[in-house]
Amino acid sequence: MVKMKRFLVLVMVMMLTFSLVACSGSSETNSSTKTNANGDDKSKFVTITMMVLGDKPTNGQLEKVMEEVNAKLKEKANAKLELKWIEWADYMTKYNLTLASGEPVDLIITATDWLDAWGNAKKGAFMDITDLLPKYAPKTWEEVSDENWEQTKYDGKIVMIPEDSFTQWVNHGFFYRTDWAKEFGITEPIKDFETLGKYFQGIKDNKPGVIPWDSPGTNVTTAWGYTSSYSDAIELPITTGVFPIYWGKSHEDPYTVTSPVFEDIFIDYAKLMKDWADKGYWRDDVLNYKGDTRALFQAGKTGADQHHTETFSGLRTQMDAKQPGSEIDMFAWSDTRNNLISMSVTHGATAVGAHSKNPERALMVYDLIRNDEEIYKLFNYGLEGVQYEIKDGKRVRPEGYDETKHAFSSNFWGGRVDKFEIPSADKWEGISEMYAEYDKIKKPYPYGRFVFNSTPVEAEISALSQVTAQMVPAIAFGKAGDPEKAVKDFRKRLNAAGYEKVLKEIQKQMDEYKKLVEGN
Amino acid sequence: MEQTSRRNIDTSTIMVRIIGYGFIGLFALCCLFPFILIVSSSFSSEKAIMESGFALWPKEFSTFAYEIVFKNPRLVIGSYFVTLAITIVGTAVGLFIIAMTGYALQRQDFLYRNKISFYIYFTTLFSGGLVPFYLLMTKYLHLQDNYLAVLLPGLLSPFLIIMMKAFTKSIPHEITESAKMDGAGDFTIFLKIILPMSTPALATIGLFIALGYWNEWYNSMLFLSPNMEYRPLQLFLYNVVTSADFIRNSAAASNVPAQDIPLETMKMATAVVATGPVILFYPFVQKYFISGITIGAVKG
Amino acid sequence: MKTEAVTVQSPTVVVKTKTKESVFKRLWKHRTLLLMCMPAIIFFAIFAYLPMPGLYLAFVNYDYSLGIFDSAFVGFDNFKFLVMTGDLWKLTFNTIAYNLAFIVLGNILQIAVAIMLNELTNKWFKKVSQTIMFLPHFISAVLVGLLAYNILSYDYGVLNSFLKMVGLDPVQTYSNPEIWPYIIVITFLWQSTGYGSIVYFAAIMGLDKSILEAAEIDGANAFQRIRYIIIPWLKPTFIILLLFSLGGVLKGNFGLFYNLVGANNTMLYPTTDIIETYVFRTLMTNFNFSLGSAVSLYQSVFGLVIVLTANWIIRKVSPENSLF
Repeated sequence: MVKMKRFLVLVMVMMLTFSLVACSGSSETNSSTKTNANGDDKSKFVTITMMVLGDKPTNGQLEKVMEEVNAKLKEKANAKLELKWIEWADYMTKYNLTLASGEPVDLIITATDWLDAWGNAKKGAFMDITDLLPKYAPKTWEEVSDENWEQTKYDGKIVMIPEDSFTQWVNHGFFYRTDWAKEFGITEPIKDFETLGKYFQGIKDNKPGVIPWDSPGTNVTTAWGYTSSYSDAIELPITTGVFPIYWGKSHEDPYTVTSPVFEDIFIDYAKLMKDWADKGYWRDDVLNYKGDTRALFQAGKTGADQHHTETFSGLRTQMDAKQPGSEIDMFAWSDTRNNLISMSVTHGATAVGAHSKNPERALMVYDLIRNDEEIYKLFNYGLEGVQYEIKDGKRVRPEGYDETKHAFSSNFWGGRVDKFEIPSADKWEGISEMYAEYDKIKKPYPYGRFVFNSTPVEAEISALSQVTAQMVPAIAFGKAGDPEKAVKDFRKRLNAAGYEKVLKEIQKQMDEYKKLVEGN
Repeated sequence: MEQTSRRNIDTSTIMVRIIGYGFIGLFALCCLFPFILIVSSSFSSEKAIMESGFALWPKEFSTFAYEIVFKNPRLVIGSYFVTLAITIVGTAVGLFIIAMTGYALQRQDFLYRNKISFYIYFTTLFSGGLVPFYLLMTKYLHLQDNYLAVLLPGLLSPFLIIMMKAFTKSIPHEITESAKMDGAGDFTIFLKIILPMSTPALATIGLFIALGYWNEWYNSMLFLSPNMEYRPLQLFLYNVVTSADFIRNSAAASNVPAQDIPLETMKMATAVVATGPVILFYPFVQKYFISGITIGAVKG
Repeated sequence: MKTEAVTVQSPTVVVKTKTKESVFKRLWKHRTLLLMCMPAIIFFAIFAYLPMPGLYLAFVNYDYSLGIFDSAFVGFDNFKFLVMTGDLWKLTFNTIAYNLAFIVLGNILQIAVAIMLNELTNKWFKKVSQTIMFLPHFISAVLVGLLAYNILSYDYGVLNSFLKMVGLDPVQTYSNPEIWPYIIVITFLWQSTGYGSIVYFAAIMGLDKSILEAAEIDGANAFQRIRYIIIPWLKPTFIILLLFSLGGVLKGNFGLFYNLVGANNTMLYPTTDIIETYVFRTLMTNFNFSLGSAVSLYQSVFGLVIVLTANWIIRKVSPENSLF
């Protein structure tokens, strides 16, 4: 035992020595990034790395396009762009690990809604670019409005560039077959959950072998859907696991924090889902199902698919090819009572890595991608004549184009702009009508500049997320037994995990935010 | 020989054999069953899988998935080569170090054996965790996009060293003693006497190291980015199983429209391609178990 | 045994009577054996001990731009979330119960298979069955999950197709938490037995055949030979395996649980949720590496205590088998 003790001491000493080595190592790199003052000077050729999400195309087209892009970048910024791909398998681990490791990545694709940009900003993953932007990305600086810059500030500093000049809606809802709906006597477009239920029942009665809504168990979006369809609540940019617990009360009163979970609406929702589950509108073991349900929808094996507008517009044209004669429409959550909020401008964004060695040049490169028409088109569409051709102002595939040999994508979702976009001929025409409809009813996003500081309630947020992850999927697919009891149980567990404390903290910060907004 | 041994067989031996054949046979069947499912569904049409799930025999026979996998064999063959190279080099180097350490640690006259054993064992209890390990590999050792990032961490494992130590314990200490009398050094004893005597142990440990390398995908996922053209087989398989986009991408050269690529059956076909050939490798290792027995007999 | 004990003791005794300078002499005397251990020592220093100070991550609010050691120290805050949901006890219990089942049943089955294989005489059968039992080890966890779903699913599963064929009622596996401990343990045994029995099989191969022959001549029957010669011979191997698995008694087999049970089937959590899956869910909402480190530290300390206790007991009972 004495020997053991001595040994443990030895181990401790070793660990300490190593930690000192590691310590001095890290502080060294810190200072080196800050002493980079020759940003103006473009004389040194540098390589700018950009972290993008997606599976890297392996058909060799990417390399060919990047060669062209880099030729232009060399000429204009004396730099070269290198893409660092984070593939979909385990992307959460790799994306966050790369940020956490302090690797000197220059440009990073991020998003406040699906990539936890605020969380990463809080952890110090992004560089403060407030002072660099006007000088090194002047065009972007001009183009983005002050109001939108405000929405990219963490702690008063700009930490990302918003994709704010690109029209898109990622407004969720159900896609369904209108040709089938007509057979069941549903002639009007579906606008609420009740009618959707009737449609599902119609499939159950008339289409043997078709699952009304085949869904993977991960998709609990109906909880959002029901909340937006039957209340005026607005989701707050605070993630608490698979479903956000805290919402703003309504568009008229956005600064009062509430939770639909603690209102009757959630019990109604749980009851309806239980009812649907009992009627067999989805698979019995839906919670473990992982199939490719979009393909099944296209194959006519299921009656509905759930996703957002952009997906719908793509699916619509594919559907004409896959199931000729079929017609599909979308029941968007906002159809029920026009509860539609404008998209946050940071659904797509680009940040500069905290450990970037050439932030100035990185911004120059970004400015070029976003504002140089030639580079923009190359980077987003590929080579003219190989990947695309322009016919009557629309993007078409050239003669001899082969999807497998010539497909190209750079997965750049951090700064597309409408001014350079060329509409694709494949795109469904009706989408602009849909967008026009949305534009009529949309209300401004009230929380653009609200960044919740979760530090005082970090442990509670983790606990709440855990509870939602444990309770919501079962409720959302009617698998939690008696729905009323399940929701009460859910509330009880949320309370135990610190629901009230977090509510108070959010309300406190929201009150301050209200003063800030109304003071302006 | 034959006759004497036959006379010795009593009822208890027969019973043990009956139980043995029955039990092992049954268990082997259980192990084979899921594999049959994989093979059967890899030869099934995508439509049959989508409509009625897996079956022990394909409902609609189709080799479409294999055709796509082999239309562009470059990636698969490259992956095979990388995995094979890492496995062979890693196993050879790792086995030698493990055998050497194991032998030294079991020597009763080696003063530091307990301390070093604990030093090694301790690492199974505590590890720095993901972030520090990642930092070490990328920031300090600069092994990003380097096959060494997969090769090096898999070389040694505390478990295998301690196993080796236990195995070599069964070699009588007198052998070392008498060799020492003859003037042989410790390293010579290990190289010339101990190594040739421990084939069953080496075969076992070697097999485990090789399996570790063959099944490795996590370090590959962390450290070998998609910028590398050829990445280990299991990472390839992992990507195929978890990402539909990846399948569509890798099937790019097959001239099949993206939406017609049979996702489910391709997963299974890739699994068969990645696993199948290894089965041929195992009997090769088994030989050494048997040769080990004969050495033991000579020794006795 | 006695002579061995003496040889162990003597160098230390001699050393203690000598003066300080002999440290170097001692090192010099063991130089070859030390050098032979050097590659391993250096290896573990780099790949295991060098990252170890990083465990400090568990006590800080990790700021990426500052690095681990300059981030703000927050004490035990990162451990708090584990207790807040009130799940810690259940998770610890589940994890340990599963691991004990894996250790006990796994080793029994592996030993049984190794002994039986050794008794079989048909070489062809031996080879083929060993190869087949090995197969499951090659199927990655993701694929195991996919296969399990295709076997157990209610509507299209192979199991229910079979049950329907023979006229029985289909079973709802995925909404029945009681049966999951069995499914998980069986899957584990299915996957690890062939692989694990290799160690025991190799150990039996190392047994001097003349001892068995002598026993046979003395009239021991097959059961007695197994009971009194082979099983005691396997004891040291078993103890090593035991100590290795005990160290990780609080560490769950994440791949197995995550892929079998899935991330969303909350109905099965009461019987299938282990520390690893719980932590994974927490990390998925907010990738907080400090929380992960906190949990792994909790698991390691727990494992260390268990192993030291076990090793201490083994030392008392049969000193030659203790690990250190």
